[in-house]
Amino acid sequence: MSTSLALQYLVVALAVVVSAGVVAKKQFPGGVRRLRVALAIPLVREGRPAWLRAIGRSIAPTPATSGPGCGGCDNCGPDPHA
Amino acid sequence: MSASAIPLRLALVGNPNSGKTALFNLLTGSRQKVANYTGVTVERKEGRLLAPSGRSYALLDLPGAYSLNPASLDEAITRDLCRGFYPGEPAPDVLVCVVDATNLRLHLRFVLEVRALGRPMVVALNMADAAERRGIRIDREALQHALGVPVVETVAVRHNGAKALVQTLEAIADKPHAPEHALAADADLHEETRRLLSLTVTMPTRTARIDDVLDRWLLHPVIGLVTLSLVMFLIFQAVYAWATPMMDAIEAATAWLGAVVGNAMPAGPLRSLVVDGIIAGLGGVIVFLPQILILFAFILALEESGYLPRAAFLLDKMMAGAGLSGRSFIPLLSSFACAIPGIMATRSIQDPRDRIATIMVAPLMTCSARLPVYALLIGAFIPKQQVAGLLNLQGLVLFALYLAGIVSALLVSFVMKKWRRDKGEHPLLLELPSYRLPHPRDLAIGLWERAMIFLKRVGGIILALTILLWFLLSFPAAPADATMPLIDYSFAGRIGHAMTAIFAPIGFNWQICIALIPGMAAREVAVASLATVYALSAANDDAAAQALAPIISDGWSLATALSLLVWFIYAPQCISTWATIKRETNSWKMMAISAGYLFALAYLASLVTYQLAVAMGAG
Repeated sequence: MSTSLALQYLVVALAVVVSAGVVAKKQFPGGVRRLRVALAIPLVREGRPAWLRAIGRSIAPTPATSGPGCGGCDNCGPDPHA
Repeated sequence: MSASAIPLRLALVGNPNSGKTALFNLLTGSRQKVANYTGVTVERKEGRLLAPSGRSYALLDLPGAYSLNPASLDEAITRDLCRGFYPGEPAPDVLVCVVDATNLRLHLRFVLEVRALGRPMVVALNMADAAERRGIRIDREALQHALGVPVVETVAVRHNGAKALVQTLEAIADKPHAPEHALAADADLHEETRRLLSLTVTMPTRTARIDDVLDRWLLHPVIGLVTLSLVMFLIFQAVYAWATPMMDAIEAATAWLGAVVGNAMPAGPLRSLVVDGIIAGLGGVIVFLPQILILFAFILALEESGYLPRAAFLLDKMMAGAGLSGRSFIPLLSSFACAIPGIMATRSIQDPRDRIATIMVAPLMTCSARLPVYALLIGAFIPKQQVAGLLNLQGLVLFALYLAGIVSALLVSFVMKKWRRDKGEHPLLLELPSYRLPHPRDLAIGLWERAMIFLKRVGGIILALTILLWFLLSFPAAPADATMPLIDYSFAGRIGHAMTAIFAPIGFNWQICIALIPGMAAREVAVASLATVYALSAANDDAAAQALAPIISDGWSLATALSLLVWFIYAPQCISTWATIKRETNSWKMMAISAGYLFALAYLASLVTYQLAVAMGAG
């Protein structure tokens, strides 16, 4: 297989994987969220190396709701009165 | 977090259409979060207002309410929240009562109800600019004095339009106090509203005169309905007639782009993906953008002009007979563009029974995503003939398909009405705003937003599905000793052939079966999928570049085409519509009923159509 053809297959494979991700996220957001949680939990357990925990945190979905006291928005930023 | 750091809680309250949400957006910008109130499907919007002083406020946009004596779930939530009785929601520190300055007769009554709660409040005279343009003169200071609460003017659609409101909130934030005046518990609010209006507002006589003259004709039981029919007819004619030049241009641009890219790239899987998959697939969908924009231009213009509520009023009796209400009109009209905003628009229907009935039939309205399928099949199978020397046969078939959707919706809601125990009809309470000329800037913004939504869909879910379908149609490659067409060995080819066991009785071949699957994500993808399937099935590049219509007119029988047309009148909704029904009804059962009955209707109607057509020699 020539390098050009191999590169073409690589680009096609990437496009297909990204497309599958987009479709899954748009059509089945709940399932994708559960999957991300299931993948992230083993990675962030105590005793795991820091880099693995960092990967786990990046895989984990953002919390659906903010804690009490927060204004409720996604990006509170620093509190000027704190 | 310390107690002192807890931000002051403000809540925007007001009648529907007072501009509350626009004001909320202006005050909070992107610092907002949208969710539902616990256990119900009423939207809860909270955001953060950052004042110029650096002080931060939590701002809640409460559901619109005509009264604190609730007639709907929205109004009950607003009442409970204002009183501080809603579970898990602390009482607001200050209520910002937003009123439409052009319609104080209606909105001031609600202000009096809110004031009676005895909580600190500010009145925001929203759309103050529109009131001024119409010659409505409001003595703000006199109103403030008469109400005993601060009154400020706001223009929610203008940058800095809420400056005075923020300054007032800053001033009272340190020391919120209850309203200075209060009415007796048994006071007549209408009487008090009339008194306040006479003291503080001067209305122009001309606006009321124009409204009266127009309403005499447009709300007439006969002339009004004829006018409404003419308006609807004009909209559908315009959608198909006016869009043609733009659609031709987009089609030509797509063909040119495919040829240029095809010549520039070396042969291989990447070229096939880009040319046969992405350009052919997306080009087949983008071509319908002009039609969508024309449809929305009319809907926006009708909405801005104040005509839509009158159309709802005119149709109330007819829709009540079929088990719907006049309030169903606007959601159903929105469903002609897309069922999703239509279903979401049912939130304005206060009665849960009418709301469910509207949600159930909304997918029967012919959404714009079905246009590509209709246009393709009509172009391929219906001859371009004049009927009675005046009407276009293809146009008539299209009109009949739209009509079939509407009639089916009325029949389904009528059957639902017969089945349910509560057969009573609920009165329609509507606010008829003054007529106004639509502002070109507002129309332009609305159309721009609609175009962006469509193009984001094309660049997002539709692009992703097209790539996935191309993959399924191209892999695995056929073996060296292949005897069947190469595409038959692909994943999609095998799935399509397996599906024909179910769909053969209604005349669908495997290519149609394949197109139905991505069509579940977005119905317009069915056409893009057919284009990709036939492009990849073609023996050579010339055949692949051929337009889809002549290919299917040669390859399909008339019975199959008619069956597919009928299928798409009822075709089960896209997955996003299912998700919207689930979210809006908070019920898996409702979603399953909706999907199930539409699939059954589609299959039965297509079966009858196909078998009859075959029996008549069209197979």
